Amino acid sequence: MAVMTRFALAAVAAALIGAAPVLAHHGWGSYDASRPLTITGPIKHTTYQYPHVHVMIDHDGNTWEITLAPPSRMEARRAVLAVVKEGNVMAAYGYASTSRPHEMRAERITVDGKTYEMR
Amino acid sequence: MEGLFLALEHSGLGAAMRESSFLYPLANVLHILGLAGFAGAIAIMDARLLGALAQMSLGPLVARWRKVAMIAFAVQVVSGFMLFSAEASAIVENPVFRLKVLLIAIGLANVAVFELVTKQGLGDSVDGSPALAAKVSGTVSLLAWFAVAAAGRLIAYF
Repeated sequence: MAVMTRFALAAVAAALIGAAPVLAHHGWGSYDASRPLTITGPIKHTTYQYPHVHVMIDHDGNTWEITLAPPSRMEARRAVLAVVKEGNVMAAYGYASTSRPHEMRAERITVDGKTYEMR
Repeated sequence: MEGLFLALEHSGLGAAMRESSFLYPLANVLHILGLAGFAGAIAIMDARLLGALAQMSLGPLVARWRKVAMIAFAVQVVSGFMLFSAEASAIVENPVFRLKVLLIAIGLANVAVFELVTKQGLGDSVDGSPALAAKVSGTVSLLAWFAVAAAGRLIAYF
């Protein structure tokens, strides 16, 4: 039984070691949720693909890559390809990446007066 | 090397993983189910090496659950390769992915050491208290494979 207890403790320790960074990241990892920003403009380019849909929008002299939801969730929220296609004007509210310059993760997007939640 | 990963990403498989409405979620589900089967089989073998389940002989127990672990590992390799192909050139640069590959190598090396060295001295012992070498094997295995799972989940956050 003592060995069983030791085994259980080892398993719990391994799980905790693995879980610690997850707890520190609150789900949206390498994005700075303390400083939200909104990027608005015409969509220059759309890739409607797994694992995430991406759109490119010019902002303050740089082209930003905006990470949206996976295609399945986009469709569930009615944010289909026609909503995020090239040329449409989008306002994306979200958080800048802490590791890649000019990339942001959108919390929600607004196109043509309609808002779509990405989370 | 870089060209190899770009070629994989631009292959039919990579494109299908990105464009199909069901392949990426399917591979994701398979990778989770494979993890469950793999972790379960590994945990049973490691528990035995650490002295639990002592009423079952070590040899037959490992022989039975090694098969389950190998099938689950094959599911992980296939589903993992599918997920990897969608973004191969980016993922291969991911520090946590690299750590995961290293941890898998450690896990597999531990299996090799157990098979080629440790197991020879154990026999089919039903003794409740395995040799220290067996306990080391089981501990390294548990830590390595749990860390592989944790690193896998964390790839998306870096």
